Amino acid sequence: MGWIFVASLVIALALVHKPLGDYIHRVYTTTKHNGVERFLYRLVGVQPDAEQKWGVYARGVLAFSVISLLALYGLQRLQDKLFLSLGFAPVPDHIAWNTAVSFVTNTNWQAYSGESTMGHLVQMSGLAVQNFVSAAVGMAVAIALVRGFARRGSDTLGNFWVDLVRGTIRVLLPLAFVGALVLVAGGLVQNFVGPHEITALTGGPQNLTGGPVASQEVIKELGTNGGGFYNTNSAHPFENATSWTNWFEIFLILLIPFALPRTFGKMVGQPRQGYAILAVMGIIALAGITLTNVFELGGDATVPQAVGAAMEGKDVRFGVANSATFAAATTLTSTGAVNSFHDSYTPIGGMMTLFNMMLGEVAPGGVGAGLYGMLVLAVITVFVAGLMVGRTPEYLGKKIGSREIKLASMYFLVTPILVLAGTAVAMGNEAGLAAMLNSGPHGFSEILYAFTSASNNNGSAFGGVTVNTPWYDVALGLCMLLGRFLPIIFVLALAGSLARQKPAPESAGTLPTHRPQFVGMVVGVTLILVALTFLPALALGPLAEGLLS
Amino acid sequence: MTTQLVEAPARTPGQKKNGKIGDGLLDPNQMLRSLPDALRKLNPVTLWRNPVMLIVEIGAAFTTVLAVLDPSFFAWATVVWLWLTVVFANLAEAVAEGRGKAQAATLRKAKTDTMARKQSGELVPAPELRQGDIVVVEAGEVIPGDGDVIEGIASVDESAITGESAPVIRESGGDRSAVTGGTKVLSDKITVQITQKPGESFIDRMIALVEGANRQKTPNEIALNILLAALTIIFLVATVTMQPLAIWAKGQNPGIPDSLALTGDGVTGIVLISLLVCLIPTTIGALLSAIGIAGMDRLVQRNVLAMSGRAVEAAGDVSTLLLDKTGTITLGNRQASEFVPVAGVSEMELARAAQLSSLADETPEGRSIVVYAKTAYGLREREPGELAHADWVAFTAQTRMSGVNLDGKQVRKGAATAVMKWVRDHGGHPTDEVGDIVDGISGSGGTPLVVAEKGRVLGVIHLKDVVKAGMRERFDEMRRMGIRTVMITGDNPLTARAIADEAGVDDFLAEATPEDKLALIRKEQEGGRLVAMTGDGTNDAPALAQSDVGVAMNTGTSAAKEAGNMVDLDSDPTKLIEIVEIGKQLLITRGALTTFSIANDIAKYFAIIPAMFAAVYPGLDALNVMRLASPQSAILSAVVFNALVIVALIPLALRGVRYRPSSASKLLSRNLYVYGLGGIVAPFIGIKVIDLLVQFLPGMS
Amino acid sequence: MERMPSWIRLHLAALRALLVLTAVTGVIYPLAVTGVAQALFTGQANGSLVEKDGKVVGSALIGQSFEGHREYFQSRPSAAGDGYDMLSTAASNLGPEDVVDVLPVPGAKDDEGDPDEGRQSLLTQVCARSKAIGELEGVSGARPYCTSDGVGAVLKVFPAVGAPTRAVSVNQACPSRPFVAEYQGVRVECGRPGEDYAAGRTVPVRGNVSDVEVPADAVTASGSGLDPHISLAYAELQARRVAEERGVDVGRVRQLIGEHTTGRALGFMGEPAVNVLELNLALDKE
Repeated sequence: MGWIFVASLVIALALVHKPLGDYIHRVYTTTKHNGVERFLYRLVGVQPDAEQKWGVYARGVLAFSVISLLALYGLQRLQDKLFLSLGFAPVPDHIAWNTAVSFVTNTNWQAYSGESTMGHLVQMSGLAVQNFVSAAVGMAVAIALVRGFARRGSDTLGNFWVDLVRGTIRVLLPLAFVGALVLVAGGLVQNFVGPHEITALTGGPQNLTGGPVASQEVIKELGTNGGGFYNTNSAHPFENATSWTNWFEIFLILLIPFALPRTFGKMVGQPRQGYAILAVMGIIALAGITLTNVFELGGDATVPQAVGAAMEGKDVRFGVANSATFAAATTLTSTGAVNSFHDSYTPIGGMMTLFNMMLGEVAPGGVGAGLYGMLVLAVITVFVAGLMVGRTPEYLGKKIGSREIKLASMYFLVTPILVLAGTAVAMGNEAGLAAMLNSGPHGFSEILYAFTSASNNNGSAFGGVTVNTPWYDVALGLCMLLGRFLPIIFVLALAGSLARQKPAPESAGTLPTHRPQFVGMVVGVTLILVALTFLPALALGPLAEGLLS
Repeated sequence: MTTQLVEAPARTPGQKKNGKIGDGLLDPNQMLRSLPDALRKLNPVTLWRNPVMLIVEIGAAFTTVLAVLDPSFFAWATVVWLWLTVVFANLAEAVAEGRGKAQAATLRKAKTDTMARKQSGELVPAPELRQGDIVVVEAGEVIPGDGDVIEGIASVDESAITGESAPVIRESGGDRSAVTGGTKVLSDKITVQITQKPGESFIDRMIALVEGANRQKTPNEIALNILLAALTIIFLVATVTMQPLAIWAKGQNPGIPDSLALTGDGVTGIVLISLLVCLIPTTIGALLSAIGIAGMDRLVQRNVLAMSGRAVEAAGDVSTLLLDKTGTITLGNRQASEFVPVAGVSEMELARAAQLSSLADETPEGRSIVVYAKTAYGLREREPGELAHADWVAFTAQTRMSGVNLDGKQVRKGAATAVMKWVRDHGGHPTDEVGDIVDGISGSGGTPLVVAEKGRVLGVIHLKDVVKAGMRERFDEMRRMGIRTVMITGDNPLTARAIADEAGVDDFLAEATPEDKLALIRKEQEGGRLVAMTGDGTNDAPALAQSDVGVAMNTGTSAAKEAGNMVDLDSDPTKLIEIVEIGKQLLITRGALTTFSIANDIAKYFAIIPAMFAAVYPGLDALNVMRLASPQSAILSAVVFNALVIVALIPLALRGVRYRPSSASKLLSRNLYVYGLGGIVAPFIGIKVIDLLVQFLPGMS
Repeated sequence: MERMPSWIRLHLAALRALLVLTAVTGVIYPLAVTGVAQALFTGQANGSLVEKDGKVVGSALIGQSFEGHREYFQSRPSAAGDGYDMLSTAASNLGPEDVVDVLPVPGAKDDEGDPDEGRQSLLTQVCARSKAIGELEGVSGARPYCTSDGVGAVLKVFPAVGAPTRAVSVNQACPSRPFVAEYQGVRVECGRPGEDYAAGRTVPVRGNVSDVEVPADAVTASGSGLDPHISLAYAELQARRVAEERGVDVGRVRQLIGEHTTGRALGFMGEPAVNVLELNLALDKE
């Protein structure tokens, strides 16, 4: 049954990726602004038709993110002074900082417990807004990079404000509205009721707490965000009520990341190039999902053996297989929502969720971030492969020279360094070690997972680690911030450098980048680079635990 | 062709006939000879140009200190092999440079302490000559510097530069006016205007180039170095950050005794450095500069001098080749293919006259007429001396015809207008028929030569361009490589099309002026294509300068040689095709060894990770898929393999990866299988084999 | 406006953009969704509440604890607060190899002055739950890797490498009898509270239990801590006890189970699950 579940997702995504990808292509390439948008641009005070160089574009991204960070921090700190706070106190400063960073960077790491910390206003007008705009920022950066490939001899990449507004208003908002209603039909809550006590069947007290959950849940998945309305995230029945809302949420997670390659192919004028990228993402994703399922269903560890199945931390309505599929989907994209708790997964099943993130969130990755990450990997692959056909490497006609490879390398360096350095620092100091819940290799896996998740802007947690300590809030906050914006700057610089080039025409001597051969190479390069980088760390964590006996 | 001044060591004559350099480059003696150089290169000041190897050297130095403080057989064995890794890397570079040095030494011999005689008669040492000085050189003297002949004509022995023993003619004006310093005037006397700056003569530059002195990194080499640096940083981070994790893991298992690899203070320094050295891309890092030097060297062996490494790389990227028709696509000259008699004259009669008029004509066209008369009409070839009373009339630019006066009979052959005029001058009246034949031959792309007796036109010789054998196949090859070939000719479009079709080029530029050429190059470059061309005349200079790969013929003018970025000493325009192949081979070799180097890491992890941590987490022994004997032997085997693979690959780096023209896709598949898959598998086998030997050493269990 | 430095203008534009987008996605959008949802799907949008005698007794989606009420079907173990606390939802987050307990030291106090409770490993929690449920339902609660007294069957073997010289059943506090007498020729000791066994090698012992009667979901905590469902197997196991307690026919109870079982959506999504609150409510209505 678990396999039919996966197959049905594949079929559904195969059906929608083309129309959606084409639609997104139209959104970002049309020169027309509709009335609402023109009104918004006037309010914002920007010239929608002004083209920006990469530096200007990047400054726009950074300015918007800094303002968002400050605003979200302020909103949390002042929630008791505003309405709809449900009587909650201001969020403690380190948690507020961590949460603000986490939502602005599309990480949505949950250092807070939603139902007991955040009022409805913060959730709806703070966190959910960032769910929209941080995803739109990711898409804008990806589109800017694609324009770098598509443009010939141009030094501009489009207009950030236009890309931001269009991504939010034309792509995310309509999908979210429809999706939210579907989820409500499935049982998700959508009201403004705070915590209240009722008398349970046995006569004891029972707390119920509602809120604008569905409207936030849908964008949390669609924008590959992942910060839950409640502490237990998508395992919570009010966030994920039935086995089919579970299917629908996984579908939403994968929807845009798998549609963007089509947009890319259309924008560079060669749909088959888009399919090649899609194939790379698809192969890795399917392998990741399959292996996670296999290891979880295998239940190979002492406790699952004692129990008879890896049921700890999983809800009955989802079962083991569909939980594993959700876990793989959420870690392969930079979503980080969870419907089951990875900390209690089998060692190797848990390692798969870690490994999925270590891939750098490229298969298919976060909204936008996945596409640009994958394109950077394609650039690195082209560089090595291109040499092997005896030419200066080129991708889509653009030469990969020293400037391009420098930017691509720096992009590629950021996350592994943050993950490994962060983990090493945590393992070497008291504040870092104190947070471990489990002992032995599993405790180490928890910390490795935390830094992997934060640096890759995933946001899921292995749980266990008590991460809402000031030390972790600050350290992980820094990882999220650097892990998000350094790569973005490198990507935009790369886009600028590519846009300036005039493409070389394709010939028989050009490395074809749309054939299975190239697809296989990108898959290979991705897996090998990641495996080589993280094998020592994985050996001391999940591998040591999984190969215990 | 095969005699050469630049005699590469261990190279046998005739090797370059088929354009392939054979094996045998790695002469053990040469390795030994290069060893002192390799040791000198251990100096960190010189090594810092190669960050990957610098890190290995720092690691080796660090482990040496550790081994001194805490000596054991394992420690010292590792230290020795780490040092050897650096030495092997230096050796690769030294061997590559050594071959260039040998060539430079022979070149230097040509650069004797020549004295120059200025026009004024004043004698100055050659190195003091300045640009614009005018010197006089007589037979038997050595030309003191590069320059142009401004007066006179002389035969010059250029074997010192080109290896070609036959003397060449140098004369003022035209495209054969350039002379090179160090060459020797054999006859006559010429006045030369010096064009070189002091110390920048052609020979100086040649020596600098082959020695690899002040070798600049090429753009692609820089890009690759950046990627290698990035990989090095990643592995550095991966190994350094492992330490706190290892300490913690050890602390979690207090019951595990300390091992050679892991103690309470973490992984021991020697093991950590070993892991780092095994992971960073040492193989390609060690061979990268050798590959570059060897690439230049391969060009030199084909008698091509590249003025920069950048040009060699660009050659690999060329997507449009501009080829001069004459000499490149067709044999340098036209050949007789038909005798067309006018009415009333038999073919045999015409053939006889044509043969007679050409007997003394030593031009290739003239020879071809004699040959054709023999093969087609069975006319015996006669030596000019046989005809005692013959009075030979040589071809001159004024008369534009040649012939013979024999026993009162006068026979002439030559350009239609000239011969017709001669006939008329001698009272003849050429019919319109002759004009029709001439026009017909011209129209079909041939060249008509009219043959006449005194007062009477006999007929017309049809001279045709003959496409060199095998050209069509080569152009098909180029097409498969994705390279477009364009034929450049001064012929009319009709002629040009006929030859283009016959040769199988993709396109042609007829009635080409230098401006047309330049415009064509610009147009191709505008479309993002890289253009390569050859040229020799001064009027080629702008186009040579504009093209991405401009190969000047050594026989050409100094203006052309200045403008191009390569000089072909053999002045063989077909070289361009080989140059492209060498450029591609250079890039392929880099890519293949990079892939190989990275693919190697997988096996090394499987050797070293269980060796480090299996004591703490016994389950990790499952990763020891090679079943290596002990942690010590596993680590040492990995280090030894890592060092030996460098030595094993030096021949490949120098020779270059085998290159067969084919589509990019096929090339990639092949190289991926050999160097990607091979790179994954080879170390598993290699490390296992080394382990089988190493395990018997003391201290390995 | 024009005289401002460009970086201030940039950030002002960013601020205005954030405000405008907040208005659209943070105010208009959620209100619009709420409006439509409340109109179209009133029940779901308000939490799928269930009533008994006109009073709200819970949500069909949120599980409740029925611990100590033998007449009701029992829910799964929960790690949310003290169990099924919607204000502090959580999973246990204990790892799959969490097998060694910290035994409580009799008489010792923890940091807050309460008696030392030690720490139960996930394995011991599973074993203990299995044993308790087995006793409640009158079946065997035995499981692999569990001792008969309901703790994890785990040995610490000394030294960590090489032939064992000492073996301790670490989860069984003295004076209980170790679940095996000997390990590789070494006598097995009981665990002494307070002693540090970290230096030993951990050896979980599977035992030879082949028939496990208590289902997996009954002995594990859910992810949400609010799991409203139990598996069909666990419901079947409880049917006899509930029927006896209530004095109704087991067949009728089984029928009710069937009525409150949600199958796989579309036949392939998720797992069949029995809604405990709705089932118990239906029993009360009998």
